[in-house]
Amino acid sequence: MTPTSLECPDLEVLFTELESGEHGPALAHAKGCPLCTAIIEEHRLLEKDLYRLADPLPPPDLVHKVMARVAAEPPPLRRELWTGLSILAASFVLGLGMLFTNDTALIGTGTSLARFLVDGKAFLEALLSGAHALWSTAAAPVAGVLALLLFTSLFGIKRLAGNGPTPSEA
Amino acid sequence: MLMADDSAAPSWKADVVAARRGDPSAFESLVRSVQRPVYGLALRLLGNEAEAAEVSQEAFLRTYQNLHKYDESRPFDLWVMAITRNLCLDLLRRRTKVKTEELEPMKEVLASGEASLEDGAIAKQERQSLEAALATLSADDREVLALYYVQKRTTKEIAQVLGCAPGTIMARLFRAREKLRKQMSTEEPT
Repeated sequence: MTPTSLECPDLEVLFTELESGEHGPALAHAKGCPLCTAIIEEHRLLEKDLYRLADPLPPPDLVHKVMARVAAEPPPLRRELWTGLSILAASFVLGLGMLFTNDTALIGTGTSLARFLVDGKAFLEALLSGAHALWSTAAAPVAGVLALLLFTSLFGIKRLAGNGPTPSEA
Repeated sequence: MLMADDSAAPSWKADVVAARRGDPSAFESLVRSVQRPVYGLALRLLGNEAEAAEVSQEAFLRTYQNLHKYDESRPFDLWVMAITRNLCLDLLRRRTKVKTEELEPMKEVLASGEASLEDGAIAKQERQSLEAALATLSADDREVLALYYVQKRTTKEIAQVLGCAPGTIMARLFRAREKLRKQMSTEEPT
């Protein structure tokens, strides 16, 4: 249906007002215009019929077929883990590739590694010496703190894992 | 507002979490809760039962494969519908031409599917003529009318499925309704 007269508003404007519930100039015009009122009534009847339609029922074996295909797939979480590991591996290989193709970077890395090994050894010795001194002066409190750390870590891991399905269910 | 199957409002969040961990019964529950709107959308877009069933299966498989990407703050059914729609559009693009024979069974399927659900307020013949007129519209028009009137989605929800603004949906709805009304008025005299 096209606009009925020069005074009649554009139909899209009229129906936008109608659907949004805003009583603007188009609806105000329609109230006093028999042609616009007839258009609105005709659309309402069409809408009424459309609202009575329903989606067809899916085939009865749809869920069964979907689940059969899903059974052949790995669980989504495992898929996510493998995707993450693949990205990490690819990034690592790319980084190594870039390193080996650049002489300056390779020399820099070698020097840093050698320095780390020398400094690391000294740091480790100092750390062990400190730990030994601590253990010889306050063994009981240190053991208590270590046990508490171990317990809270295990508890945290258990909470993170949650109550997942058993391996047979998965 | 119809959001799922005949069952009560589904607890998508809990089922999604369980399905991500590999619980098949949780995923089955998700499939059951959205299978009807998913299949309905596919059938209205493709106009062929076999293809609609195949696309629905594929959509659910993709849903399962991408469950870790699902944003739990959004309705699960709309997410699956968006996947289904994309698969349907891919298939429609691959089609070189739409055979008219394909549309005929669709009218019968849609009309008979509703007959068991209707309360008798609308005559079967009227329903069939409405479905026939709907079948002549473009996939874009059928899609927006089916989502709004048949599945009783809001324009905001449809916008989420179609990936556009709610205002665009209102304009598309208006145009589709106009085409349908014209189609029905041309069919009336015959």
